[in-house]
Amino acid sequence: MLAFEHYEQGEDMAVESLGIARKTWQTIASIKTGVVLLILVVILAAAGTIVLQRPVTEPDEMQAAYSPHVLRILDAVGLTDVFHSWWFLGLLLLVSACIIAASVERFPNSWRYFSRPYKYPDESFRRASHPQKSLPITDEESGLVAAQRALHAMGFKPERIVRADHFGIFAERHRISELAVYIVHASLLLIFFGTIVDGFWGWRGTLNLNEGQTSNLIELRDGSTRKLPFAIRCDSAGQDNYKDGTPKKWWSELAVVADGRDVKNKEIVVNDPLLYNGVRFYQSSYGPNGKVDKLSLVAVPSNGSGAKEEIGLAVNDTVALDSDTTVRFAEFIPDYAVRDGQVYRKSNELENPAAHLVVTSKSAGKDKDYDVWLPAIDGVADNSKAPYMLQATDLKMGHFTGLQVSHEPGQWGVWGGVVLMGVGLAFVFYVIHMRFWIVPVCDPKTGKSSLWIGGSANRNRDAFEQCFNELVTTAEVELKNISKTSPNERVASVAEQRTGSLEAF
Amino acid sequence: MARAKAEQQQPASGTTLIVMVGLAIAFLLFMAFLNVVKSGNLLNESNLLFAALIFYSGAGALYLGFGVTGTESYIKSASIATWAGLAANTAAVAHRWYEAGHPPFASVYEMLLSFVWTLAVLTLIAEKKYHVKVIGTVTMPVAIVGVVLMQLLRTDVHPLVPALQSTWLHVHVTLAMLAYAACALSFALATMFLIQDNMKTETFLTVTSASTLAIYASVVLTRFEKWGGLSLVAWNPENKAEVFISKGVRLFVTIPDLGWIMVLALLVVAAPLVFCGIAKWKKNDSFLVLANRAVFLSILIQVMALVMFLMRARDGRYPSLDADGLFPTSLAASPFILSALVGGIFISLLYLLLLWRRKDLEALLPSAVELDRITYKTICLAFPLLTLMIAAGAYWANQTWGSYWSWDPKETWAAITWLVYAGYLHMRITRGWRGRRAAYFAILGFVVVMFTFFGVTYLLPGLHAYA
Repeated sequence: MLAFEHYEQGEDMAVESLGIARKTWQTIASIKTGVVLLILVVILAAAGTIVLQRPVTEPDEMQAAYSPHVLRILDAVGLTDVFHSWWFLGLLLLVSACIIAASVERFPNSWRYFSRPYKYPDESFRRASHPQKSLPITDEESGLVAAQRALHAMGFKPERIVRADHFGIFAERHRISELAVYIVHASLLLIFFGTIVDGFWGWRGTLNLNEGQTSNLIELRDGSTRKLPFAIRCDSAGQDNYKDGTPKKWWSELAVVADGRDVKNKEIVVNDPLLYNGVRFYQSSYGPNGKVDKLSLVAVPSNGSGAKEEIGLAVNDTVALDSDTTVRFAEFIPDYAVRDGQVYRKSNELENPAAHLVVTSKSAGKDKDYDVWLPAIDGVADNSKAPYMLQATDLKMGHFTGLQVSHEPGQWGVWGGVVLMGVGLAFVFYVIHMRFWIVPVCDPKTGKSSLWIGGSANRNRDAFEQCFNELVTTAEVELKNISKTSPNERVASVAEQRTGSLEAF
Repeated sequence: MARAKAEQQQPASGTTLIVMVGLAIAFLLFMAFLNVVKSGNLLNESNLLFAALIFYSGAGALYLGFGVTGTESYIKSASIATWAGLAANTAAVAHRWYEAGHPPFASVYEMLLSFVWTLAVLTLIAEKKYHVKVIGTVTMPVAIVGVVLMQLLRTDVHPLVPALQSTWLHVHVTLAMLAYAACALSFALATMFLIQDNMKTETFLTVTSASTLAIYASVVLTRFEKWGGLSLVAWNPENKAEVFISKGVRLFVTIPDLGWIMVLALLVVAAPLVFCGIAKWKKNDSFLVLANRAVFLSILIQVMALVMFLMRARDGRYPSLDADGLFPTSLAASPFILSALVGGIFISLLYLLLLWRRKDLEALLPSAVELDRITYKTICLAFPLLTLMIAAGAYWANQTWGSYWSWDPKETWAAITWLVYAGYLHMRITRGWRGRRAAYFAILGFVVVMFTFFGVTYLLPGLHAYA
């Protein structure tokens, strides 16, 4: 006890001499600091879910929600983008530092505990130990053998401790449990490490492709573009519906093109991305791109002679109707309006579509163009003058597929951390480090021997106490068994016991 | 005074209540059977749910009878009724699963279905394994409210939208259900610990009154309209869906005068708290007696408010402030107001139970030390489940949205929940927090869980629009 106090005093002096650095370290490592930091993280994160956040919410929505004055303050403090602000990141780094410091501070003790198990309890330890029990025995050897058998029966591997002046039995289970908390802390750091790596080297963006289009330019969140060393081509994309019309599936047939050839093909759906060279492509949206894939027409000669023809056109396609006449699909307007004899594009939604076709006919060696509009727009279209009457039968619109693209090199750290944490938590909560000490004690006054049984567990004390009581009762039974047999048999049984334990290995 | 009177009452004879409940169950089943014969369809989900409701109600009545009178023989019959209800509930879950082709986790209705099922299972486990018999008094009324809500929310099987078509959905949601159930259990155990730890009955009065006050305050603050109206979401009976003016903006109708009733309830519910405050300030215990009487009165007024709400909001057409004409509404459009009102009554009743039967409760519950230990054990179970739930969610998000963590409100609050429980564990293991402080922490944890589960979905915007 005195020695211990002396040790503490020595440490106090050391603290003074090492000064501020040591103090800072201890502050960081203290659980109080950790708790304060965590409370701060909780408050700020909660604030980040209540205040509308910048990158997700559109600027006009922000302006609608807050008055300009409030918005200016929120922006200045950084509360409109909590999770990307430098102070939140700084706070998380501080938490990491705190975890590291606390672990480093406590680890040597735990390691000593782990690497040099306390195998023989001295008298003061025995006095303070709980639970403990003393069983009366006739001689030390039979007591120890009984205890050994009892421990074997419970699945422990007892160890005889023989020193110059004392001896006893030590048995333990799951010593690793003492270190499990460091596994959990390490896993948390690994997760933080992964997210930090992603924060610096990862990126996210979008890539919109029309069917048939190839591109390697990713539009990043901040508006810049990133050029990939390979390109992605969308061969086709589509949407499948349930019977009631709600979407069931969005899919895109993608091909990875590198050095001019296809190196990978995959049909991606919402929960199944394409992964190539650490870049993931996710199905994110799908819709009409406002462009015509194919316009089907029926053409009938205006003069009534000749058969009707069925043709299909994409924009800028030219098809011959007869030897002198061709038709070209000049323009497609998904939502048109007419003003002052001009046709305008009102929007890109497929609301009020118009197709502009140019019919060219050779007459007297000269080309004459007729502007045919479908539908016939008064004052603009020459539909009635054209040599062919054109009628649209079908309009197939082109579609685009919207892909989310992300590169997260740190995610393996995150998943590794998650798995490690699962393992660590399993050890922390469900694996108990149990220790038992059995020492034969002789009372100097009465001269009677007894078997002292003590134990400890690092958690789940009630399960442990059950275990302890089981050990005591089994040992009692074994003691009775041994006392019934003669001394010779006893030696034999000890030998049997030894071989038995060898076989168990 | 009320307490003294209650203690003088003789416990009702054990068989009377059992026979009454049995007869009621038999009668309701018979009526339901007549109905089934008429419609000719026996094993559909609604019939199964109705059967579950009947059995759970019977069990709830018996558990309450046990809680109030302490008659042991009720427990056995209550267990049987719970088993029967669970069987019907299981059949309903199986039916739904079979019909939809996916486990029932995809909508609020399906979540409730699974939640009630989990609750019944946990009740039976707690009763049989841990001998916490009184737990049915709390869980069964919750189960009944759940089944009633389901009747209102009942929807046809909706196919899964593309983002939900993933095995990880099931993993994530199952883990979430288990984790939240464990958190709820730890909350109940922590409360029981406080009872066993001789916490003053007044403290419980303060907390229960504050909770009911919070319920009515939030209803009045968010829904009270000019001239005493109460605004509720309009409901389209054909589509069985809420009415939207534009994307994300619901149409509200205003029920005249209902707002005044809510204000009245708010005032009456505040009374016990005020009396309690006066008692503390003046150090005069006679005000506590007044406070307890006020709880009585508040239950009456709350029941009245609920009845008025049920009558006016069940159906009918009401004007709206945002559009011309009359629009229909339905109870299904306001499930959360309904459950909040029922919850308020329930909380006040629980307080009365404590007020009258504290001695019996103390005799029935395990010791304080034991409860403290079980609370800790439940959190030891909840914490890894929470961790796995968040991990599975992150993995799924990575598959669907292309990012494992996007600080969406639900994600953030799940992380906050995790941190709170991590804090509990650290304080307990490294600082040796036991008893009251640990119990408060466990209760705080559950409050955060409730906010994550309900608050985030209905108050904060985000990606978790499905549930």
